[in-house]
Amino acid sequence: MSLASPARPANRAWIPLVFALVAIALGAVFGFGMPAYVVFVSTSVLVAMVSLLGLGIVTGTAGMIALCQLSFASIGAWILEFLYLKTPLPAVFGAVSFLVFMLIAGLITAVLGLVIGLPALRLRGVNLAVITLGVAAAVDTTVQQIGFPDQSFAHIPRPFGLSSDPTGDRGYFLFAVIVTVLVALAINALQGSRIGAAWKSVAFSERGTASAGKSVRTAKLSAFALSAFVGGIAGCLIVGQITQVNYLTFTPINSLGLYVLSIVVGSQLIDMALFGGILFVVIPEILKQFRVPLEWSSVAFGVLGIQALTSNSNLGTGVRTALFRRRRLREAARVEAAGDVAAVETVAEAPIPVGTGRPLLVVEHLTVEFGAVKALTDVSLTVEEGTILGLIGPNGAGKSTFVDAIGGFLPHHTGTATLNGQALNGLAPHQRARAGLRRTFQQDRVPPTMTVGAYLRFVTRGKADPAAIADALTFFGCPDASIPLSVVDVGTRRLVEVAANLAARPQLLLLDEPAAGLSHDEHLAFANRLRRAPEHFGTTILIIEHDLDLVRSVCSRITVLNFGEVLASGDRAEVLNDPKVVSAYMGETEML
Amino acid sequence: MNIIFALVVGFSSGALYALIGVGLTLMSVLTRVINFSLVAVGVFGAYLSIRSAPLLASLPPGAQVAITVVIAVLVAAVVSGVLGWIEATWLSEATTTARSAVTVASLLMLISLSFILFGSQPQPLRPLLVGPAVIIGEVAVTKVGVAMLVAAIVVGLLTWIIVKHSPLGIRLRAISDRQTAAELLGVNVKALQVSVWVAMGAVMGLCVSIIGNTAAADAASMITLVIPGTAAALVGAFKNIPLTIVGGLVVGALQGALTAFPSTTQLRDWIPILVIVLFLLWNQRKEVWDVAR
Repeated sequence: MSLASPARPANRAWIPLVFALVAIALGAVFGFGMPAYVVFVSTSVLVAMVSLLGLGIVTGTAGMIALCQLSFASIGAWILEFLYLKTPLPAVFGAVSFLVFMLIAGLITAVLGLVIGLPALRLRGVNLAVITLGVAAAVDTTVQQIGFPDQSFAHIPRPFGLSSDPTGDRGYFLFAVIVTVLVALAINALQGSRIGAAWKSVAFSERGTASAGKSVRTAKLSAFALSAFVGGIAGCLIVGQITQVNYLTFTPINSLGLYVLSIVVGSQLIDMALFGGILFVVIPEILKQFRVPLEWSSVAFGVLGIQALTSNSNLGTGVRTALFRRRRLREAARVEAAGDVAAVETVAEAPIPVGTGRPLLVVEHLTVEFGAVKALTDVSLTVEEGTILGLIGPNGAGKSTFVDAIGGFLPHHTGTATLNGQALNGLAPHQRARAGLRRTFQQDRVPPTMTVGAYLRFVTRGKADPAAIADALTFFGCPDASIPLSVVDVGTRRLVEVAANLAARPQLLLLDEPAAGLSHDEHLAFANRLRRAPEHFGTTILIIEHDLDLVRSVCSRITVLNFGEVLASGDRAEVLNDPKVVSAYMGETEML
Repeated sequence: MNIIFALVVGFSSGALYALIGVGLTLMSVLTRVINFSLVAVGVFGAYLSIRSAPLLASLPPGAQVAITVVIAVLVAAVVSGVLGWIEATWLSEATTTARSAVTVASLLMLISLSFILFGSQPQPLRPLLVGPAVIIGEVAVTKVGVAMLVAAIVVGLLTWIIVKHSPLGIRLRAISDRQTAAELLGVNVKALQVSVWVAMGAVMGLCVSIIGNTAAADAASMITLVIPGTAAALVGAFKNIPLTIVGGLVVGALQGALTAFPSTTQLRDWIPILVIVLFLLWNQRKEVWDVAR
């Protein structure tokens, strides 16, 4: 499995640039070689592509419903026109006015996007849908009433003095190609960066995102603002293309159409955004040729959208998964031919880690109440640096509530917690994660849209280099960094989650039933790895586990919770032989 | 006096928003979906029904109206039922976002079909109720407005009684909370879900037939009435029906009040957004996570 060459990421950085240069060269040939009308329509394709790229950040990568992409375009267009016609700035910037204004328009649109996104950010995608649909309708009627600054009698000059005739159309097409390529390059780079990983993560799980030390708020708002920025740029491109705009270019129904199309093709993927742009423009063009009402294209998009949603798939990821499977099959065949390379556990049994004697996590009088229910009552415990503490107890004892409270997800608890002397109270989950307190989840919180390596880079907040990532993955026998998480089974995903959080080298890691879903043999291997983890990663561990064999084999100390109270706490053997503990477990496990 | 008049003008639309909001809230509670197509199915049914006018010309006027309304209700119920069937068949375990996204796609389809079939010109969609219900001095409260408010309250009360005090209600709540668990207990989840969609579609078909073209001139702009409806539903957090009704009336009243100041007409369209934003900010005082644990 570990066939990845470390040089691969460095090599990959060139690929988008090569694609970009080829795209621009093709654009030049196309723009000056094709009939004028085709070139003009193709500019519309580019505009739609830029809109879809912007939308893809929110709908695809970050998993929200945004229905006002063309409202952003119309705001961007309006600002560009305003700067051209109502300010003295064109004289200042001369030939590059268009570019400067386009950036200003994009930025102002992004700020408006922030304002719109702000109230919706804590809430789910549906609320964003409600607010963006409202904005789409309101912007539409407002623009209808106040009109665009050009008032349909002034033509907006094109960039670099390009003329407004078919010759200028060709030059402008090339300009639009370059802008589109730049936008695509930027988005591609961002999606591969940590903020891009945060978008993918937040689409899958907010809690998982916060636990990786990333603010959910920042992730969602940055996605929405960037999407608005790109929307504004698309609006400016439209102005340059047709040099006179009115509200009909930006109707809310077209925003709906773009959203649905974005879902259909998966427009977070650059090539699919291009394909979506082609569909968005070419289908109505074909209908026009046959004198069929253009609205049929929206009907078709609606049908395709329902199909995509009901099958929970889109064209882009569908094609990619198919390609990946083929590659995997070929690789598997090659590996088989080369003989079995599966790593055999050769490490000797490691001893249970011994701590430094220094208290790392000190929890005092922790009480959590859900209404009248006391989930935790006056829980105090200390985790010694360098050890593995087992937190056990019957179902409903409050173990996971404890992890939630310490992790910052239950801010309304009473009592205090300090990590290495630093008070945790009042810190948000992502702040606690940054302070060196990490946790894993009982449920699958590993976003399937990333590769294993990208996930580790995200969770480690970019602090782990490729060697450290490979080390953590090998340590836990996880799949190679280049494997997409979507093809990794749930049990192994949980291991990847543990490996990722250890690779982040936190001071303390809270593991919430990490071994659930593993087979007996995997359990034993996991226990052996876990025993070596405190020394290897410099991390102290608190583990919640139902499997007492595992707890017995890795923990030096154990705390037992029952009905939200500490039933027993102390040395492993002592606690497990405590009659109170045995009776609390009676009927549930007879292994004691 | 002008402002009071404006408030009463706002009352009619506010009552309509309240009814739409109640419908959205019910669908959200019972079927876990924010149905952006809710108004669209009603509009589609009503506009399609007036196409039957030439066929019914020989009948007495009363029968014509009755048959037209029945057609509107049936079409709306069927279209809504098909949507519900799609949701219940393929998206039974999907997130609210995914389920709601389907209604965005169907909204797009219904708007486009409305353009194709009915055009963007005003249509002779005569309201069933015409004229004022009460006149106090210069101020008239329209019959349509009163009817909408009554409908909102009746629909709200009826479902409250059904949901809280009948075996059917227990089943409905069960499938909304834990669909698979309800299914394992032998509840026919799909049929129940689809019937909620059919019922809401029928209500919207009837409602649009009653208001006719008093609220908006053409099909597409009528469909956008779902936006102030969502604002109303948000005031009740898509859960609380009395608050939703209040929310709808407030949105309508604010819009009506603004008509007294002609210079502020552009603000009118932003009122729903304003209410939505204020509500969301208020609702977000406390930190909320996407899942309980």
